[in-house]
Amino acid sequence: MTTVIDVDAPVPALAPAGGPADHRGSWIPNGGMIATRILELRKRRGLMIALALVTIGIPTVFMVIRLLMHAFAPKTYGPAGGYDIYTNLVSGVLYVFGFIVAATLGATAGSSDLTDGMFRHLVVTGRSRLALYLARIPAGLAIIVPLVAAGFTLVCIVCVFAAPTRLEFNGVTVPANLSRPGLETWAAGHPNEVICQFGVRITPSTPDGSTIGNVTNSLCGGPPGAPVTQPPQAQITEVARLIAGMNYSDYSRHFLYPSNSLMIKSGLWLELEAAIGFIVGLGLGSLIGQRTVTVVLMIVLEIILTPIFSRAHIPHLLNLQRGVVGVAMAHLTPGGLPVIGGGGGGPGGGGPGGNPALIPETITVSVCVIVAWLVVWSALGAWRMVTRDA
Amino acid sequence: MSTATLADVSDKRPTQSEWAVETHGLTKRFGENVALNGVELLVPRGCAFGYLGPNGAGKTTLIRVLLGLTHADAGSMSLLGYDVPRHRAAALARVGAIVDEPRFHGHLTGRQNLQILAAAREPAARDRIVPALERVGILHRADDRVSKYSMGMRQRLGVAACLLGDPELLILDEPMNGLDPAGMHEMRDMILSLVAEGRTVVLSSHLLDEVERTCDAVAIVDRGNIIRQGPISELLAGASLQLQVECSDPDRARGLLDATTIGAGIQVGPGGLGIGLPAGTPRDVIAEINRVLVEGGISVYRLQEIQASLEAWFLSVTSRLGASE
Repeated sequence: MTTVIDVDAPVPALAPAGGPADHRGSWIPNGGMIATRILELRKRRGLMIALALVTIGIPTVFMVIRLLMHAFAPKTYGPAGGYDIYTNLVSGVLYVFGFIVAATLGATAGSSDLTDGMFRHLVVTGRSRLALYLARIPAGLAIIVPLVAAGFTLVCIVCVFAAPTRLEFNGVTVPANLSRPGLETWAAGHPNEVICQFGVRITPSTPDGSTIGNVTNSLCGGPPGAPVTQPPQAQITEVARLIAGMNYSDYSRHFLYPSNSLMIKSGLWLELEAAIGFIVGLGLGSLIGQRTVTVVLMIVLEIILTPIFSRAHIPHLLNLQRGVVGVAMAHLTPGGLPVIGGGGGGPGGGGPGGNPALIPETITVSVCVIVAWLVVWSALGAWRMVTRDA
Repeated sequence: MSTATLADVSDKRPTQSEWAVETHGLTKRFGENVALNGVELLVPRGCAFGYLGPNGAGKTTLIRVLLGLTHADAGSMSLLGYDVPRHRAAALARVGAIVDEPRFHGHLTGRQNLQILAAAREPAARDRIVPALERVGILHRADDRVSKYSMGMRQRLGVAACLLGDPELLILDEPMNGLDPAGMHEMRDMILSLVAEGRTVVLSSHLLDEVERTCDAVAIVDRGNIIRQGPISELLAGASLQLQVECSDPDRARGLLDATTIGAGIQVGPGGLGIGLPAGTPRDVIAEINRVLVEGGISVYRLQEIQASLEAWFLSVTSRLGASE
């Protein structure tokens, strides 16, 4: 039986909520939502400390140890900075760990409302669920981008200002940043080191090949039984100049410290990697609703799957391999940095002129793969947020 | 994609409905289990409305469906005259709700949690944070982390969250949980004050005594169905009439009454005779009982009509009583 209630006189109407400025049904998050989302993430002390330790702390500790070792035993330990240290830290530490911490932050942003029970409160406000999801993207990026930038800036500063003052080229200490004539002039003053250690491959088409061969044999020791005659000093000097000139293109790729161009490209590349890690982690975290599982999956992707798919040429899975975001990012590695997972430097990957260790992929395909990952994971995370029972 | 604002949809409310909540044929299934089975609920505006039912009856499910936390399988509903889910944003702008246990970000303070919720509401909601905290009595703990709050304080914070939107309708699911007696008293006073301001409060609770003291009207839900709803006074008036008779010889009195056509359920207890009469029994029957006993030589010391309680009535109409019997 249902009894209809007898209603008394109508109650006085309250002031209506909302108003012209209340775009509650809009899918665009407002500034306040983004700001409070930043607050929610920033106040997670454990997470923030972990992020700072990984992105800033690890490079800092590494640099400080190298600075101290060099300060106390400069002959045994080289300078803390320099080009080689830069490339190793950027592609070996900041790139991988930046992705993982960004993914952890994304997974937290994608799942914390659910696990903490706040999602229900937020849905009851009437705010578009899509707006609730989208507010997390700028909020998370506002945290992870400066963190990665801080760690990267620290590396750049140390690598530039604590760089070695002289360049080691094929075991010979050479002044850095010389022009071709400058290097040839320097070689004329150090003929023995240049002739014996710079090295040159002599072919039948090499100009003055026989002269170079004779001088090299006489100074550095030739094959057994070869006649040994002391060449005149002028010839030794001339051969040293020739060898220096032949090695100039190789020499010119050795730097004391990274160039401004390389640092800018590397910084943008690291930030892109961190942004991908955050957005994919956010989408996956929202989809699964759990932080731990999401973080584990992201680590597996970055540490295990990406190196395998970057290098293993599996004929029937080549297109699948190309679809892995880490492979696409490896193809965008700035020239001068070693490709992730080893295999030498250089842009362009396994295409013509690219890194032969990587599976072949054009830059266009790489960019498309990255965009697809960002769009698809964002769409999946948003879809789950919109359809999920709160 | 739509970027509709509340201002855009405010003129879409068809009429100023007299009902704060209105559902017709509302159905929700979880697999084979029917949680809501064609629920017809009408909650008038400006009252405290109790929503009662045994565990698993579908109380929280109905609230979740109303608030858009989950989808209904069939039926229609409206909040404050807005069709839901069609005008959900406009409706919820005027609704505050606690569903289940109120949970918040434990690493944030109470104030910061409310800031997050206020940011998702209209701009004016931010200015209501302090008054809301003050009203529920936790302003002095507003800057403590929620992880340090007791259950009762979280309940209060949940109510404060409801007040951020200056709601016309509050839906409170077990708001008394975790509150000490003084807290329950304060919560009751607060609900009554909210109603006095012209708001509607829907109160889901197991605490029948509290509901009876707080609410003007109730609905009983059992196994996904609304089995009774209406003003408490009317519903209790329809409950069976209980008489307590203190007399000289209860056993003989029972025999005398059994021989009549009164047809009452009579029990002899330590306090005398307990007589249950069907709802709507004319008061003349009470006089007739007295006459039969006196003419039979029984001395009647006291004959008292026992007021039916909401709890007794609730148990009489829900399946729990049937199961226990």
